[in-house]
Amino acid sequence: MEIRGVQIDDTFAEAFGMRGVRIIITAKNQKWARESASKLTGFATSVIACKCEAAIERELPPSETPDGRPGISVLLFTMDSDSLPKRVIERIGQTVLTCPTTACFDGLPDFPDRIAIGKPLRTFGDGFQGSKMIDGQRYWRLPVMEGEFLIQETFGKAKGVGGGNFLILAESADAALDAAEAAVDAMAGMPGVILPFPGGIVRSGSKVGAKRYKTMIASTNDAFAPTLRAITKTEVPDGVNSVLEIVLDGLDFRSIARAMQAGIDAACRAGVHSITAGNYGGKLGPFHFHLRKIMSGDVEDATKVDAPK
Amino acid sequence: MSDRITLTLRAPLTHPLDADAIAPDRLAALDAHEISTLRLWDGRNAVALGDVFTVIGDRSSNVQLEGDLARLHGVGTLMSAGTLEISGSIGHSLGVRMRGGAISVSGSAGDDAGAAMAGGSIAVAGNAGDRAGGALQGASKGMTGGEIVVRGGVGREAGARMRRGILYCASSGVGTGIGMIAGNIIVSGAIGDSVGAGNKRGTIVALGPVRVPRAYAYACTYRPPHLSLMLLSLRARFGLPVDDAHVHGLFKRYSGDLAEIGKGEILEWQATH
Repeated sequence: MEIRGVQIDDTFAEAFGMRGVRIIITAKNQKWARESASKLTGFATSVIACKCEAAIERELPPSETPDGRPGISVLLFTMDSDSLPKRVIERIGQTVLTCPTTACFDGLPDFPDRIAIGKPLRTFGDGFQGSKMIDGQRYWRLPVMEGEFLIQETFGKAKGVGGGNFLILAESADAALDAAEAAVDAMAGMPGVILPFPGGIVRSGSKVGAKRYKTMIASTNDAFAPTLRAITKTEVPDGVNSVLEIVLDGLDFRSIARAMQAGIDAACRAGVHSITAGNYGGKLGPFHFHLRKIMSGDVEDATKVDAPK
Repeated sequence: MSDRITLTLRAPLTHPLDADAIAPDRLAALDAHEISTLRLWDGRNAVALGDVFTVIGDRSSNVQLEGDLARLHGVGTLMSAGTLEISGSIGHSLGVRMRGGAISVSGSAGDDAGAAMAGGSIAVAGNAGDRAGGALQGASKGMTGGEIVVRGGVGREAGARMRRGILYCASSGVGTGIGMIAGNIIVSGAIGDSVGAGNKRGTIVALGPVRVPRAYAYACTYRPPHLSLMLLSLRARFGLPVDDAHVHGLFKRYSGDLAEIGKGEILEWQATH
């Protein structure tokens, strides 16, 4: 398969089940909502070292937020249910509670699995906190020096998908970056998906473990490192001098597949040789994103293994 | 089974009738004959519902009441589900101790509307009498959940000893929120004297003029974040004409009643020019 002269490899991205929340941060204006969201999602690129993966999903106009103010929605994922509340509580406690004018709401109100977030955070109020029940949901009011911080007591927990990906193999580093940026722009704001790496782009894709250092849980993906092309079992084709990766986490298979479809299509441009994807032979991750199927318009989950409902 | 049950008064009531049998969740299990044989009470004397109302429809949890019902009391008592539409005005004790469902009144309601209710909603297009959302005689708690929205005014002691829930009205009489344990009272117009006396943790929102009692102390002027949520919810769910200036406005916060634990509050809206 080729799109505008760019080859789409007959392979698939292999992804894993994750657990996630959608956090809605509102503030006096978009600037302060973004300030808070940027801090919340900082150092959250990969569970390998950050313990969670998080990024801004999209900006929300006042008409889409619970309190009628400008907002930002953030998705945050962890590998297991147990660590999810801990990660969310520590990040909201340090980056939303502390940020002027913000309030914090659950963005998955219809999800029946709930985790307590505002409830443990309420103790910051040192007994001066109060709660309000509005539309069947409890909200905590924490008195702070600025005034009052409002946070919802519980957040919905989703069975998400982490590690959707595709690799852009290009003739030059500039061409790879241009294509990756175009892909990120095309995926920006698509619901249910985040790109947790800087600017949505990864230059240091990794393989599991290491050949030399046994304690490393991940190390450079030498098969796709152009500088190692002559001395390793390479997957870098002739004429390719740079490879960039896009990693996607999402609330469900279809959200990621649709985003990959838009991103890959945008990445197929001059200077790009081919698009491929990272996998482990299909033995580790239950979610398989077949590039050619996706680019043919099939965005349904065909693996049906532990698919989130 | 029909879409709704319509009960139409056969003739104007000359005596007060206790009609706590009329609640949608109870009528939902009955056929028209069974509904007609439900008992209403004229003092100590039982009266068949079918002698007072014509009954159209059966086995539905959507009930409509029609006629001059100002002498019909206790409708919707202990109601837990369904909808009850009342065309015109209704007597006292509407929705007392109700736990769920929705009551709407196109006219006014008498005293004790929603007294001790625990859930559901009551929307009154006109006025309501004394103790709306308050406590029953001798009871320690008023409403413990749900919402009461009165587009007109309410009488004395609205929300008395309220524990949880929201009471919204256009104006309120003396003793609004007296003995409040918690919960929320929002008054878009004038509030009577002695507001919030004995309030423990309740919130009284004054969008209009209010005389804050001496037992309350001024804390600050700020934007209460929960209030925008609450007002937007009321606007969306009940179609109330909530002003954006109230949703995003500044309020003076008074803490009280300081003779109690002082965790209650009166939030007085500040017009900005």
